[in-house]
Amino acid sequence: MSDVGDEFGAEMREAMQRRPAPPGLKRKVMEQRTRQRTLRLRSHTVLWQRLAACLVFVGVLAGAFEWRQTQERRRGEEARQQVLTALRITSHALDTMKAQLAAHDRDGQE
Amino acid sequence: MAHDWQPDFEQLVDEHQSMVFSLALRMSGDRGLAEEIAQDVLMELDMNLRKIESPLHALCWLRRVTMNRSADALRRRRVRGIDLWVEIEEGHGARMEESSSPLGARVEQLLATLPEQQRAALVLRYQEDMTPEEIAETLETPVATVKSQLQRGLKLLRAKAANLNEYVRGA
Repeated sequence: MSDVGDEFGAEMREAMQRRPAPPGLKRKVMEQRTRQRTLRLRSHTVLWQRLAACLVFVGVLAGAFEWRQTQERRRGEEARQQVLTALRITSHALDTMKAQLAAHDRDGQE
Repeated sequence: MAHDWQPDFEQLVDEHQSMVFSLALRMSGDRGLAEEIAQDVLMELDMNLRKIESPLHALCWLRRVTMNRSADALRRRRVRGIDLWVEIEEGHGARMEESSSPLGARVEQLLATLPEQQRAALVLRYQEDMTPEEIAETLETPVATVKSQLQRGLKLLRAKAANLNEYVRGA
């Protein structure tokens, strides 16, 4: 650049020294930073609380679903046992009748 | 990328608040607005502190963000239909001269009459003593454009004040 070193450039540099910042600027920035950090922390806490509430809700729902499934399985098993018992009784009755019929046939032949 | 340097926000504010404020003041021409811009820029630094890798990176980052925020503030003013520099000539000019040398105040008044891009280039060149290449990087503009903006800006300034010291002595 041709301006470097010339008188006008030097005057410009001299005239454009950095100005001191207003006395309260740093304090304002630090206060705003503290406020924002507190807000951020608070919003993080709320976020975690909501997340925990969601997890508890999902846990309760999953627990209820699992409990219902277990109950249904238990009822199904009971019903199966009852059917098996009924079948066993029927089978026993049929065996008895068959034995009686066989005894009756033998008596008739004699 | 891992880096050993741990930024200390308070120390960075101490070191750079004057630079940030001066850039914003010379770009906006309004002390109140400049303080607002400086505050916003420093808060943005706090939000981006983890990305800052070195003291030099902090300096470059602050220069770039300050110039961008100042341009945004001027744009917002224009959109709202307020001619900032008319306001300055009517009242704020006096406030700009506070704690500044007569020469500095005169330069700031003259800078205020320049187009925004030329003003930005000149402020970075003479306040921050940056090379055209560094200015181009900060303003995200081609180097040739920066050089032409510097030349045009200086030409305009020369036309307005042939010799600043002479003007100040005469004032």
